[in-house]
Parts: sequence; structure tokens; C-alpha cells
Amino acid sequence: MSERQPTTAKINSDLLGPVNKPGRGWYATVTVSGLVVLAAAGALAYQFSRGLGVWGINRPVFWALDITNFVFWIGISHAGTLISAILRVTGAEWRRPVTRCAEAITVFALMIGALFPIIHLGRPQLFYWLVPYPNERGLWPNFRSPLAWDFFAINTYLLGSIIYLYLPLIPDLALLRDKSRGLWRRFYGALSLGWKGTQLQWDRLERAVRVMAVVIIPVAVSVHTIVSWDFAMTIRPMWHSTMFGPYFVAGAIFSGIAALIIAMAVIRRVFHLEDYLQPIHFNNLGLLLLTMSLIWFYFTFGEYLTTWYGNLPDEMAVFDSKVSGVYSPFFWGTVICCFAVPAPLLAIKRFRTIKGTVIASMLVVVGMWFERFLIIVPTLARPRFTFNWGTYSPTWVEIMLTAGTFAYFVLLYSIFTRLFPIIAIWEYKEGLAVAREPSTSSSSVSSPLTEST
Amino acid sequence: MSERIIAVLDGVDQALSAVESLRRQGFSRAAITIMSAEPIHGAPFESDQTKSRIAGFAIAGGVIGAIAAVLLTVVTSRRVDLVTGGMPIVTPWAFGIIIFELAALGAILATLGRMIFEARLARRSALADYDEAVADGSVVLAVECSDEACLEAAKNVLGANLTRTS
Repeated sequence: MSERQPTTAKINSDLLGPVNKPGRGWYATVTVSGLVVLAAAGALAYQFSRGLGVWGINRPVFWALDITNFVFWIGISHAGTLISAILRVTGAEWRRPVTRCAEAITVFALMIGALFPIIHLGRPQLFYWLVPYPNERGLWPNFRSPLAWDFFAINTYLLGSIIYLYLPLIPDLALLRDKSRGLWRRFYGALSLGWKGTQLQWDRLERAVRVMAVVIIPVAVSVHTIVSWDFAMTIRPMWHSTMFGPYFVAGAIFSGIAALIIAMAVIRRVFHLEDYLQPIHFNNLGLLLLTMSLIWFYFTFGEYLTTWYGNLPDEMAVFDSKVSGVYSPFFWGTVICCFAVPAPLLAIKRFRTIKGTVIASMLVVVGMWFERFLIIVPTLARPRFTFNWGTYSPTWVEIMLTAGTFAYFVLLYSIFTRLFPIIAIWEYKEGLAVAREPSTSSSSVSSPLTEST
Repeated sequence: MSERIIAVLDGVDQALSAVESLRRQGFSRAAITIMSAEPIHGAPFESDQTKSRIAGFAIAGGVIGAIAAVLLTVVTSRRVDLVTGGMPIVTPWAFGIIIFELAALGAILATLGRMIFEARLARRSALADYDEAVADGSVVLAVECSDEACLEAAKNVLGANLTRTS
């Protein structure tokens, strides 16, 4: 390695470019996503004024698009902190340009996912009634409820993910402080906490990030496991399954990696970061996506096979509605989007290009949204007593809110890229320096620019 | 008399040679502060790090979080006298999940707090001796001198790279 290494000035200029001069693509993205968010906010205001009756939910389907979106976005949040922590703990050098893109996804996806249980309350202004503090209403949370576990798990993960995003951001905030003037300098100065890059500070930062990475992995796994227990702790057909925890976690990592690949492709294109987000990063993440596709298929096949083999009438009613009944387009759509197309696409090296991995990722994101819908609605629509069977179709309010979540995510992510470097500058430079070192333990480690799997 | 000399050096190699020269002149490692835009790995730069207690604080934070969770779940559930339909008021299966989450939260917060403390961040004088040349890839050395002879020795070593004394 190599004469190809860029200079410090070029790295600073390239990676601070989106902060200094975001370009037309950024403004277009913010405008379009902002308009969709406004429309969704209008739908939400309409819902608050008219009540939950404006949704399509009705007996027996009381959870539908809202909880689908909740599970989906909590799943997407596994892109970042978990994947970044695993790559850090395993010392994968190619992670360096990828980690911050991923960690930011976690924070924003969690924020959006966590909104839905509150929106679903119908009267969200009374959310504080759920908080455990002595009150005159005589209310107290039931700590046996998976919904209370959700509260603790999601908030721990959200706070942990914000800190895990913030810690490695501090040196880059100091860089921004030094490169900016006026109010921006004060803003970045306050956030960078007086960082000056002494060797003691670097040492403590790296230790803290390592500890955080170790702590955050089990928290991330617990979050989607607990979300799965919202369903599995009931005795409803096709929910009461011991494998729901790992099934949900696998699906979450699967959809998370897909979201990360899409985000990286957009960032690469909009901010012209082709030198930093290289085909090798898409190739490596594509291989991870392929692995998760196979694991997802294994879990899905196992789940459906045991239901079919057991042949219990209550279970088979739900099974049939999914595989050959009213929900079969979603089921087969999920299989096509999550396995039948992406697996071969990612398995063949010739197709595992940037374009190929992005196409596969888009299909996976759509497929995983279908899968979340498919887990929730058919089981509710086919309860054990047949007289209580029902159907569900969404209203424009729910569709608008769903579209709004995607736009809100894009908006938040875009604002983040405008305020902070989306690729960790110091980590990238460190990767180049580590690659330059001729010997010692780092000899087996190559540049974030060039490393292959 | 205690004075600090600040020097801006072009890169790691120059900093390495300056640190070695200063050490040969009798400066202790603790008297030399190195500031850079990315971590510098190598013996002269890492030899004098004080022991970190971040991991220990993370464990202690986890224990405190777990104790807080036990108090929240077990003690309050008993006091509120919840109606549980014959199920036990206190159950390790369900409460264990909350205890795990709050233990992790305690560990995370303790890690953050201890890191800020040990790295000497968020202090009024945090940016003393700092030079913004770090942002452009330079390495800044701050050398602590206790007397005139020491000051002269440091000036001799750092020579043209010297920017200021404080």
C-alpha cells in the first residue's frame, strides 16, 4: 500500500464536502422527503382529531400497519450498532468507511420505530401514564408484560446507540470545530467537549468504544428478541413459537444490512464518495446479505414446516391463509424478494456488483416489510374461534403514515449528513496509517481502500 | 516556574524523532503531550499511558443498573399490590429481562462518564496547549518545563517547529 493513498487535505476536503457543500442532490432529497413528512404529519393530525377509527383496524385485527412498521423499523435499526459492533470486535479493517453510515441508521430507525406504540395509543398525549412514578391514578406498569420489556429494551438500545454513534464522532466534531467559524464553531466546540487528540484521549476513546461494542451486541440481540416475544408470549396460532426470537433477530440483521447497502449507495452517489465507498465494501456486505438470506430462509422453512407437519386446525387456518389464501401474494412476494431473487444474485460473483447488491437490498427491504405484515395480520384475522374471523384493509391514513416513516427516515439521515461527516474521518486515516505499518500485529491488516475478504 | 512549549511538527515521523530527542535530553514521557488527528500507534507514543478503569466502571455501572432494576421491579410490584390472577407477584423470568436491560444501560452510562473523565474532556481548560494545525494533519507537541535549563533544552530540540510558550 501504496501510492494511491490520499493526502490528509484531500480526505478532509472529500469527507467534509457533504457538510460544507451538500449539493443539489441533497437539497432535492430534503425537499421531497420533507414534503412527504408534512403530508404524513397532516394524516397524523387528522388521526389525532378523529381517533383511531380512521385506521382500517377493527375486530379481530387490532394490530396492522402500525405494528408492522414498528417491527420493521426496529429490525432496520439492527443495521448499524450491531453490525458495526461485530465488525469492530472482530477487527474487520474494511469496516472503517461503513460504520458511521450504519450507526446513524440505527438511531433514526429506532426513533421512528419507537413512535408507533405511542401513536397506536390513540391518545398519545397520555403516554406519561405508562411511566412508573407514584401517581394518584393508582396505575403502575405490569413488569410481566412484554410491552413493558419493549419499553426498557428499546430505550436502552436507543440511548446506547446514540452514545455508540457519538463517541467515535467526537474527534471528527473537533475537526469540524477547527474548520468552522462563528456559531457553527461554538456548536461543534460544545459537542466535541474540548477534544484535542492527545494520546491519552485516543487511548481512552478506543477503550470506551471497545467496551461499548461488547455491551451493545447483547442489547441489540435482546431488543428484537423482546419484540418477537410481544407475539410469542401469546398462545395465538403461528405466534407461540420458541424460535421467534432468533427468527426475528436474523430477519432484523437481514433487513438492516439491506438498508445499509442502499444508504451507502445513495451517499456514494449524491456526495461523490466513490473513492471511499468502494465496490469491495458492497461485495463484503453483499456476502453478509447472502448469508443472512440463507439463514432467513432456513428459519422460515423451519417455522412453516413444523406448522404444516403438526396439522393443528387453528394453526392450519393461518397457514393456509398465508400460503394459498388471501395473504398468499404477500407470502410468495416475501419468498421471491428475500430469497428466490437475492440469493442467486448475491451468490454469483459477476452479479455481486454495486448495482447487483443494491437491487438485492431493495428487494430484501420490500420483502421484509411484507414478512412483518405477514407475521402480524393473518394470525389476528384467523383467531381460534371461527365466528370471530375477520379481514383487514388499510385506509389512506395508514398508508400515508407508512410512506411518512420512510420519508422521515430519509429526512433525518439527510440532515445528519449535512451536520456530521457520514464517514468517520479519523478512523479512515487511522486505517491508512495502520496499512502503512510494515510489521507488527497490524501487518495482516490492509487499507480500508483495498482490503478484500 | 512552570512553562509549556508548543511545537507543530509536519507528521508522525518528525514527531517520533522529536520525542526521542527530548527523551534523550532527560524529559520524562509524562512531560510530553502529543496531539494528533488520528491515533498514533507505536511504542514511544503509548509507553506512558496511565492505567484505565473504564472496563471496571462499566462492570460497576452494570451492577448498579441491575440493583436499580431489582428495586424498581421487585420492591414496587410488592408495594403496589398488583392483581396478577394467581400468578406470582415477583417472577425472575420476566423481571430478569428488565434487570438485564437496566444493567446494560448502567454499563453504557458508566463507560461514557468514565471515558469523559479519564480523557479529561468537558473541562474549562480542555483546549489549553492546543493548536488547530492538528486538523490539517500536523502533530503538536506540548512540553512541560519546570526551569530555565529545561526550557532551553526543549527549544534546542524543537527549534524551528516551536510556535509558542504558555
